[in-house]
Amino acid sequence: MKLWMPWALSRCGGNRNSLHRNRLCLLAFQRGCQTRPVHTAEAEIQPLLNADNGTQTDPQDHLIYQLPPKGELRPESPGLRDFLHRVEDMVVKELASNAKSHAFDGFDVNWEDQNETVSCIHCLQHPSAQEKGLQVTSISWSCTGSVIACAFGRVDDGDWSTEKSCVCTWNLDRRGLNPKRPDMVIDVARPVMSLSFHPSQPSLIAGGLYSGEVVVWDTNRTQDLILAQTGMSTDTHREPVYQVAWVPGPRRGEMVVLSAGSGGRVLLWTVDSDEGRLVLSAGFALIRQQVPHNSALSKNRGSSNVGVTSLALSPWDLDTFLVGSESGLVLKCSFSAQTLAAAPPDGESVTLRAPAQFSFSPRGGPVHSLHCSPFHRNLFVSVGTDGLAHLHSLLQPDPLLSLRVSDSYVFGVRWSPTRPLLFAAATGQGLVQIFDLGRKSLRPAATLDQLTGGQPVYCLEFNPRRKDLLAVGNADGSVNIWHLSTELTEQGPRETAKLEQLANEVAE
Amino acid sequence: VTVLIHHCILYKKAEVEETLKRIQGQKGVQGIIIVNAEGIPIKTTLDNSSTVQYAGLIHQLVMKARSTVRDIDPQNDLTFLRVRSKKNEIMIAPDKDYFLIVIQNPSD
Repeated sequence: MKLWMPWALSRCGGNRNSLHRNRLCLLAFQRGCQTRPVHTAEAEIQPLLNADNGTQTDPQDHLIYQLPPKGELRPESPGLRDFLHRVEDMVVKELASNAKSHAFDGFDVNWEDQNETVSCIHCLQHPSAQEKGLQVTSISWSCTGSVIACAFGRVDDGDWSTEKSCVCTWNLDRRGLNPKRPDMVIDVARPVMSLSFHPSQPSLIAGGLYSGEVVVWDTNRTQDLILAQTGMSTDTHREPVYQVAWVPGPRRGEMVVLSAGSGGRVLLWTVDSDEGRLVLSAGFALIRQQVPHNSALSKNRGSSNVGVTSLALSPWDLDTFLVGSESGLVLKCSFSAQTLAAAPPDGESVTLRAPAQFSFSPRGGPVHSLHCSPFHRNLFVSVGTDGLAHLHSLLQPDPLLSLRVSDSYVFGVRWSPTRPLLFAAATGQGLVQIFDLGRKSLRPAATLDQLTGGQPVYCLEFNPRRKDLLAVGNADGSVNIWHLSTELTEQGPRETAKLEQLANEVAE
Repeated sequence: VTVLIHHCILYKKAEVEETLKRIQGQKGVQGIIIVNAEGIPIKTTLDNSSTVQYAGLIHQLVMKARSTVRDIDPQNDLTFLRVRSKKNEIMIAPDKDYFLIVIQNPSD
């Protein structure tokens, strides 16, 4: 770096010569700088392995359905704080005085006509079925509550029955109802053992036959009423189907038919109405060796299949279902069980799985009926040939309560859809016993005599819409429709709380 | 400055929550819903479907009750509404911009 500095100097040279005086003397400074030499070096690199990767967030398509969460993120509403300031004291005062108030103690209001009595309003019969001596094996109400369908067959026949039977329907809301003549009679080639109306389409009925077939009828059709059937294929049950039900299918809005039979199979069928076929979509096999915690049964010889005599779906948990067997087992099962069943493959089109997860204390005979409480997620009641009704909690193997229903067999049990503490049981002596768990006594709150001359009652169903109707199917081929009293249908105060208390008791 | 405003909002929010907690702590209170003038729930301690149901139905009821009171005497106005049923009691404190709905079961 060089630096030039002009320097005007008057004292450069002498005085004599002006030229000398005006001569500019320039001084220059020169400086320079230089870094030390830079060290350099060269090197090369090359990756030996290549890998590709990417990330992506999931599409948030559920955002449209979200309501603002409780602790919400929306901007604060203006004036809300002041509003609460204004009303808080008044509201707190009212709440406190209401809690202490006795003003409404014992105050009851009757909005509806009080019905003091229980009466049989219809006795429905199908004379030609009665002549053949057929019994009512199963009844079902349609989802609208106006139509009752009943299946005729035989429960007491041990032989392979080839008797023709039928399914009859009556519409109770129609004028001109003739109890002796059904609105519709569907002829079936085999005895029908179980029946179930579709939960939302009032014209579809699923039925399970003695031969192991499952059929779906469409009562809207004029010609051939069969919408779909399993036929006799390698997939069908080989033993009578004692229970059919409609369960939600994999796709939303779709319902599939569940069938359970004494062959130990629980099968799920999709309805293919174009082909007229029920296609097996999933299946479960109950094998004795795969039943959990059951040492008592290993002493039994005979078939390793656990014959299913009753089945109950849980209205609280769509994955759970309960199974009652011929040998007295009550099992908690799951639709999503993944364990494969230890059954030898028999040509079925789907792999069978073992659904049993938990085993309740076994009964002394076949379990004819199970029902889950519509008011408590853990409670269910079971009845069987030992004449007892057991109230169980799903959480423990031993029953919470054991009630003597009858000295003979008990064939059906149903919880009341309106009263949490009430259930009705159908006995082999021709009586329907109604029990109220809120009462101190363990005796029935009401007894309905079916006037069948001592012949058994096989099935009973509460009407899903009209809470005061109870349908009862008898062995003499008749179906009685009972109108219940207000006491048996109106929910009392604190019933749900009492039921909760009952459910939380630990069995001794 | 933005930090200060944020704190103010949080403080207001905390006050609202405190008030709701005090009300919820009263004996037998099963749920609280705050509904704005259009009938849309803005705060609730119940589940979503019950909240939406209560909000819609009660808004209509309060409007009807208010018009009843004012039709009888135009100088009068609704200050409080209580609906007592077999199972519980619904208390509604109405206002110009909001309603406060409290569901109480006094025998709990």
